[in-house]
Amino acid sequence: MITSIAWKNVWRNRTRSLTVIAAVTVGVFAGVFAMAAINSSIVQRIDAAVNEELSHIQVNNPGFRGSSDIANVIAEPEKVVSVLEETPGVTHITERIIVRGIASTSAGSAGVEITGIDVEKEQQMFTLKERLIPGTGSYFGTDTRLNSAFIGEKLAKELYIIRYILTEESFTALEAEDVPAAVVEKLRPLENQRFTAEKKLSEACSGLLTEKEGKLYGMRIKEAAWSYREGSKVILTFLDANGTQTGAAFRISGIFRTNNDFFEAFSVFVPHDELLRLTGMEEGQYHRIIARLEDDDLTDKASASVKEALPGLEVMSWKQIQTDLAMIADYVNQIYGIFMVLILAALAFGIVNTMLMAVLERTRELGMLSAIGMNRRRVFSMIMLESIFLSIVGGFAGMAVSAIVIAITNHTGINLVKYSEGLEAFGYSAHLYPTIGADFFIMLTVMIVITGIVAAIYPARKALQLNPVEALRGE
Amino acid sequence: MKVVEINDVFKTYHDTEVEVKAVNGVTLSFEKGDFAVIVGPSGSGKTTLLNLIGGLDQPTAGEIIVAGHRLSELKPSELIDFRMEHVGFVFQSYNLIPVLTASENVGFIMSLQKWPKEKRMARTGELLEAVGLSDRHSSRPAQLSGGQQQRVAVARALAPRPQFILADEPTANLDTKSAETLLDIMEKLNRGEEMTFIFSTHDARVVKRARRVITLEDGKVVSDERTNHTS
Repeated sequence: MITSIAWKNVWRNRTRSLTVIAAVTVGVFAGVFAMAAINSSIVQRIDAAVNEELSHIQVNNPGFRGSSDIANVIAEPEKVVSVLEETPGVTHITERIIVRGIASTSAGSAGVEITGIDVEKEQQMFTLKERLIPGTGSYFGTDTRLNSAFIGEKLAKELYIIRYILTEESFTALEAEDVPAAVVEKLRPLENQRFTAEKKLSEACSGLLTEKEGKLYGMRIKEAAWSYREGSKVILTFLDANGTQTGAAFRISGIFRTNNDFFEAFSVFVPHDELLRLTGMEEGQYHRIIARLEDDDLTDKASASVKEALPGLEVMSWKQIQTDLAMIADYVNQIYGIFMVLILAALAFGIVNTMLMAVLERTRELGMLSAIGMNRRRVFSMIMLESIFLSIVGGFAGMAVSAIVIAITNHTGINLVKYSEGLEAFGYSAHLYPTIGADFFIMLTVMIVITGIVAAIYPARKALQLNPVEALRGE
Repeated sequence: MKVVEINDVFKTYHDTEVEVKAVNGVTLSFEKGDFAVIVGPSGSGKTTLLNLIGGLDQPTAGEIIVAGHRLSELKPSELIDFRMEHVGFVFQSYNLIPVLTASENVGFIMSLQKWPKEKRMARTGELLEAVGLSDRHSSRPAQLSGGQQQRVAVARALAPRPQFILADEPTANLDTKSAETLLDIMEKLNRGEEMTFIFSTHDARVVKRARRVITLEDGKVVSDERTNHTS
C-alpha cells in the first residue's frame, strides 16, 4: 500500500514531477552519451592498437627494444612458440624480423622500422589489410620482380609517393560529394596541376576560394585530388647481420591508412623471406614473437603465465607496451564515475527541492497519516519511495534515450574530421562510434537509486519532524 | 465498561509570556457505547481534550487511561501504534488520502495492520454499504461531495474496529442534509456496532442527537448531562 501511495503521489502534481523527470532524463542522457562518445574513442584506439599494431602479447630478446640491434634475436624461438601454444586463450602466433632503416624515394626519405612478416599468419592475426587504401595495391598479392612493401599513408606522403592532382574525375567526384558547382568552377584553373604535398594544394586553393569555402570543402578537395601511381617504388636501406649497410628497391604493394600517424609514418612491412635474405640472418632467427588471444580480458593472466615460463625473455602485454593507453582506459573509467556522480548530484538538488515542496504542501495530510497510525518508518519509506520513483523514471527515460541515440550514432558514426589532424597525431580516430557496456547501465541504475535515496533524506526528515496536532491544525 | 478514564488532567501551553491552561483539571470517563458531545465556546479546550484522549498530545499533568493503556507511559512510537489499534479519528476537513479511492481510503488502516486482503475487502464493502456509498468504491475524494467524503472518513475510522471514535467538528463543513445523513449513519453504527462516539462540536444538530453533553468553559467541565435522546 505504501508503495502504491508513493507512486500515485508522484503523479499528484504532474507538471512538477514531469519537469523533474525531464531534468533527470536530460542530465542522464547528456552524461551517458558524452561518456559513450569518450569511451568509443578509447575503445577504438585500443581495438586499433591490438588488431592493427601490437596484438596481445609480444616476446622479445631482452635487449632488442632498447637497442634495435639486429643481433638481439630470441634464443630458442621454438620454445617460445611451444610455451605460447600451451598458454590458454592463445589463438594465433607469428614471428617477426625487425630492423631499423631508411626509406627513400627520389623526392624524400624517412627513418622507418622494417618488419619482415609471414603474410599468411599476419593476415590471420591483424586486420591491417582492411586498412588498405583502395587503388594502392593488393597487400602483397601482386607478383612482381621486385620485393614488395606495405607502407602507411603518412610515410607515403613524407616520401612524396602521394601527389595531389585535380583532374576532370576529381571535379566530378567533388560534385558528387555535394560541393557546389560554383566552388568546383573556381578550382578549374588548378586542373591537372601536380602538388607534392597537401599544404601546397591548400595554398593554391586558398587563392581561389573564400576562407569559408576552404574550411567547408577543404577536406573533400584533398580527398578528390589524392593521387597515387600504382607500382611506385621505395628504397629501403639498413644494416645487415654483419653490420654492413645494405638495401633494395621495393615495389609498394599497398598503402594503409589508420588513425595512428606515428604508426603510419614509421612502419614498413615486407615479406619475411625477403628481409631474411637481405639481412643475411639465419633461418629460424626472430626478433619478436607475437601471440593473439581469443579475448582481451585474458591479457593480464596469459601475459603473466608466459612471463613465468620464459624468464630470460622480455614478455609484454599490449598494456605494458602502450602504458599510456592502458592508463587512459583506467583513468577514463574513473572519470566516468566522477562525471556521473557530479551530474546526479546536481539532479539531486532538483529532486530535493521537489520533494520538499511536496512535503510542505502535504503537511496536513502527513499529520493525518501520523494521527491515524502510520508510523515514522512508513512515512519515511513513503517519501523515500516517491523520491526514488522520480529518480528512476527520469533515469530510465534518460538511459532509454541514451541507448537509442548511442545505437543510432554507433551505426552512423560521429564525424570529427575537422579535428582529424590533432586526433590522429595521438592515434585516435576522427570518426567516433559511441559505445558503452551494459555493466555501465547497471552501475548507473544503482547510482540513480542512491541519488533518489540521498535526495529524499532531508524532505523525509522534515516530514518526520511534523507534530500531528500542529500539522492537522496548520491548514 | 469504561473505555476512557480522564483523571484530573491539565494541559498548559506557554504562548510567549502568557500561560494558557487549555485543559484545566478535567476528570471524566466514557462508557462503551457512549454517544457523547463536548461543547463549549471557541478556546474552551474541546479539541485539546480530544487530542489528549486520542494520544495525539500529552497532558501537562493528570492521567488518561484508554482501553487499559496509561497514555503517559507510552513512547511516541507506541502512541502511534496505540492510535492505530484503538482510536478512530474523524476530522472536520475529512482528510482523506486524495490519491486513493473511497475503497482504498477505508481499507488504508487495515492494510497498515496487515489484514488479509479478503477480510479487508469484505469489511470495506460492509462499511461503505453502511455509510450509503456502496456504489462509490472507485471514486476518488475529489469526485465525492463533502458529505460523502465525511462518510468515507467515518467508514475509515470504523474499519479496524477501534475502541472509540473521536470526531472533531465532523459536521462543520456540511450542509444540513449531509449533516443529518452523517449523524443518522453514526447513530446507527453506534447502536449496531456498539461503537463509542465522542464529538467536539459547536453544531446544535449534533448536540440534539447526543445522549450525553459535556460542556467545557476555560478548560473546565462545567456540566456533564445525560439526555433522553433515543433517536
